[in-house]
Amino acid sequence: MTHSQINKSLALLNSKAPYANSAGKDALDIALIFGSFEQTTALFFQGDGVYQLMQGQNGELISVKDYLKTFSAFEFYDIEEVYVCQHSLDERGLKSDLHIDNVQVLKQQDFAKKLATHNTILRF
Amino acid sequence: MKKLAVVITTPPYSNLTITALNYIEAALHSNINIVGVFFYQDGVLNANSKVQIASDEFQTIKRWQSLHEQYHLPLHLCITAAEKRGMPDEDGTDSLIHDAFTISGLGELVELSSTTDRLVQF
Amino acid sequence: MTTLHIVRQSAYATNDFEQCIQVLNDTDLIVFTDDGCYNLTHNCQKRINEQVKQMLIADHAKARAIEFKETKVTAITMDDLVTLTFQADRVITWQ
Repeated sequence: MTHSQINKSLALLNSKAPYANSAGKDALDIALIFGSFEQTTALFFQGDGVYQLMQGQNGELISVKDYLKTFSAFEFYDIEEVYVCQHSLDERGLKSDLHIDNVQVLKQQDFAKKLATHNTILRF
Repeated sequence: MKKLAVVITTPPYSNLTITALNYIEAALHSNINIVGVFFYQDGVLNANSKVQIASDEFQTIKRWQSLHEQYHLPLHLCITAAEKRGMPDEDGTDSLIHDAFTISGLGELVELSSTTDRLVQF
Repeated sequence: MTTLHIVRQSAYATNDFEQCIQVLNDTDLIVFTDDGCYNLTHNCQKRINEQVKQMLIADHAKARAIEFKETKVTAITMDDLVTLTFQADRVITWQ
């Protein structure tokens, strides 16, 4: 890896609710691998993606292995940037009562600007 | 030379995959260096050599194989996603995975991401 | 700094385009491909600033019998999309 490539950063934009499909888990797997390879990785939650962060969920009731619990391990993977779109929370009548700490809730414009600071963006 | 990596998440029976193929071919004709194509989610089904497409329809599966032969286009298969869809890594003629595809994992996506100028998702 | 947004779904079916509009910056560029071409007439077009350039893959629109005015949207080829990929600083695919 050359020096110029070290500063590259990946943003994962999560747009789906957690249980009906594997999108959230598929994005999480990418985040953890990139994190463990010491790549700068950020997670963004927009639209129904914000439901992945809601406090008090229990996937086991519907036979889903609770991958959301892994979110609390982000710091061990050096994933420090987690952003949530305030507008998406408001649209859904949700408070920012989230199951992990160190999440930044951003206004739509700031969310957009922050997203545009990353080199690569993958959306799930 | 500009470098490009592509992530494919759509199955061979989707017209969205034909768009991705057209994009990749356009890039190859423009002398872009495609450092690799990474197959993830339902995209891994593109590596299944037993998928049958009616003879009067666009041959998505064969197109990947011929791009690999013609341009030595590296085709990386996320094996975890493939196993979930009934395509295990097996030796020999019984293997569902066409030999144009390399068995890979998400670590390969890290490698592609760090070597390419642009990573585009389809 | 420019972001290229590749929009592949109809806003009449999914809210992908809606979410794309939420993160648009004025210097950004939208390219409609596949069913994204149906978004030319969608109501949420009203919320896109005029500075944001909009383009579509000509064959994808023609295949769907979508009529468009070149004053509003620029028709491009797949070769152009490849060029734009490298002109932009980053790409987001909405699908």
